Amino acid sequence: MALRMCTKSLRRKLFPVFNSASLLHSHSTSFGFKEVREEEKSQMVGNVFSSVASNYDLMNDVMSAGLHRLWKDRLVSKLNPFPGMRHLDVAGGTGDVAFRILETINSVDHRALQDVLEDNLHEDTQIYVCDINPNMLNVGKKRAQERGLENHQSLVWVEGDAEALSFEDDSMDGYTIAFGIRNVTHIEKVLAEAHRVLKSGGRFLCLELSHVEVPVFKQLYDYYSFSVIPAIGELVAGDRESYQYLVESIRRFPSQDKFASMIADAGFQKVEYENLVGGVVAVHSGWKF
Amino acid sequence: MYRSAAKRLLLLQSRVCNGHPQISGVRTLTIPNSPRFSSTSASSSQTFSDQSPNFPHQSHAQNPNFSDSASSASSSQSSGFESEDAPHHESRTSKGSPPRAQYQEEQARVLSASLRHVPNLGWTEAAMIAGAREAGVSPSIIGSFPRKEAALVEFFMDECLQLLMDRIDSEKDLRNLIPSERISKLVRIRLEMQAPFISKWPQALSIQAQPQNITTSFKQRAMLVDEIWHAAGDEASDVDWYAKRAALGAIYSTTEVYMLTDKSPDFHDTWTFLDGRVRDAFDLKKTFQEDFHVTPQRVVEFLQAKYLAEAVGAGMGSSLQGFMRRVFQG
Ligand SMILES: C[S@@+](CC[C@H](N)C(=O)[O-])C[C@H]1O[C@@H](n2cnc3c(N)ncnc32)[C@H](O)[C@@H]1O
Repeated sequence: MALRMCTKSLRRKLFPVFNSASLLHSHSTSFGFKEVREEEKSQMVGNVFSSVASNYDLMNDVMSAGLHRLWKDRLVSKLNPFPGMRHLDVAGGTGDVAFRILETINSVDHRALQDVLEDNLHEDTQIYVCDINPNMLNVGKKRAQERGLENHQSLVWVEGDAEALSFEDDSMDGYTIAFGIRNVTHIEKVLAEAHRVLKSGGRFLCLELSHVEVPVFKQLYDYYSFSVIPAIGELVAGDRESYQYLVESIRRFPSQDKFASMIADAGFQKVEYENLVGGVVAVHSGWKF
Repeated sequence: MYRSAAKRLLLLQSRVCNGHPQISGVRTLTIPNSPRFSSTSASSSQTFSDQSPNFPHQSHAQNPNFSDSASSASSSQSSGFESEDAPHHESRTSKGSPPRAQYQEEQARVLSASLRHVPNLGWTEAAMIAGAREAGVSPSIIGSFPRKEAALVEFFMDECLQLLMDRIDSEKDLRNLIPSERISKLVRIRLEMQAPFISKWPQALSIQAQPQNITTSFKQRAMLVDEIWHAAGDEASDVDWYAKRAALGAIYSTTEVYMLTDKSPDFHDTWTFLDGRVRDAFDLKKTFQEDFHVTPQRVVEFLQAKYLAEAVGAGMGSSLQGFMRRVFQG
């Protein structure tokens, strides 16, 4: 399980919100199974990530047994990055996906491609990392530094909301969002924005925790997620509540088919998805034309 | 098979298509036939409704017209894909083939533009990137071709077959030729379409011979051979239809390979070689069947062995022999 959050402070931050939310009937949105007022959700998600940002990798590895790395590799290989690409990775604070894209473009194979194409395309390559949370972006920048990429002209860090992007229409070749769309208040708005910023021919890819359908595995997975994950959460982070949130929010997220139809409704074509590990995660894909 | 596989099936084989012009290779990951996400379905009406009024013209405007290079006996090595107007497909498209989704029109437009870069860049992703840029489409579209370069080669094969059919319809002279000459002429017309790409054709053959592409390569070649037999006035109901297909297949591919190393002006030697092989086949068939009562099957096997030996004699690589064996023996 790639994890989105884990923090001791989460519980403290959530409780007041849940109280006020329980009084409201309209404009509520899912924060786990608990109803939360819309404007508070993004703030709440922000708070959660502020405090977990630096532990983030550790938790990702613990919860997914390291698999999130393979899933992200799969995401990027589907993307098929190319020299000169303008790409936007949303909710990409830690830079995980962006670094992979950059590495793929700079790999030997792609160098050859570039030589053949003869322009100086690498200079045009731009990978924008957009995240609502400046702390997550800082984690990403720090990691870029560790990789010697801090001054890399292709990487651009942008603070911004997936529901209201600051990028121009028809300006991107690719759009990715990994383990991010489940945190947002309006999935439809995020999809509409993704569609808006992509060029004709541009690719939308979303990696997200999803619904397991394989029978026996589903039961094991349910057991794992409802019992084991909160327990690990308590053990590692001293915080059962936030893992409860995680598990519940996965159940809340639309099924693969439903989500695919939402992507199609946003105007994408040739919408497909691929389940990984029996649907623990799914990669959804579409093109704008 | 991106350009017109569905339409071709309808036209050529009168087979009933499932009316869902999805590309088979991508289907595994696609939600199968689900009307909810299929851009070809009526449910996503916004995408569906734009496509017929706007796109046919746009895509035709981009279509290469390389019939000129084909009819001019390949006297110039310049790519015939530079020309921008191609009225050929209009009539076919209007003959009731299922409309393609917008993304398929865009895919075709990109592949078509990519062909113009093949003489320089080869059958490569680089040519496809250049083609996408030229067509004003993001190169991300290349991710929608699961077998990348193979899509380009297959598109080319499809385009060539389409052009060949157009020539068959338009060239009345063909009917005055005797069958063996007609076959020679048709094979030549078809192979001349490869002339502008000849330096990159070995690469195309090796792409076609890759295990994941061989099924499509085989089908495309079978369709080509069937079309030529059909145009030669041969009705496919004959008992020795399989043998005829295989014999022509062997002639076609041997000539194709011969052409790769032919440095004579306008591939003069290739056409002489071709005429010889076709005459041989017709003579042999007669001799064997009438005088020795050998089955057509045996004749074909004999021809294949003979041609392979000749190909080796002409100094062709063993990989190409392997290719021919695989493509023509299924
Ligand atoms: C689970 S993390 C995923 C990080 C990274 N993509 C990965 O896969 O490792 C979710 C990220 O989404 C960001 N996020 C949440 N809501 C957002 C929004 N509305 N717009 C942009 N980013 C958002 C959070 O700040 C956080 O960095």
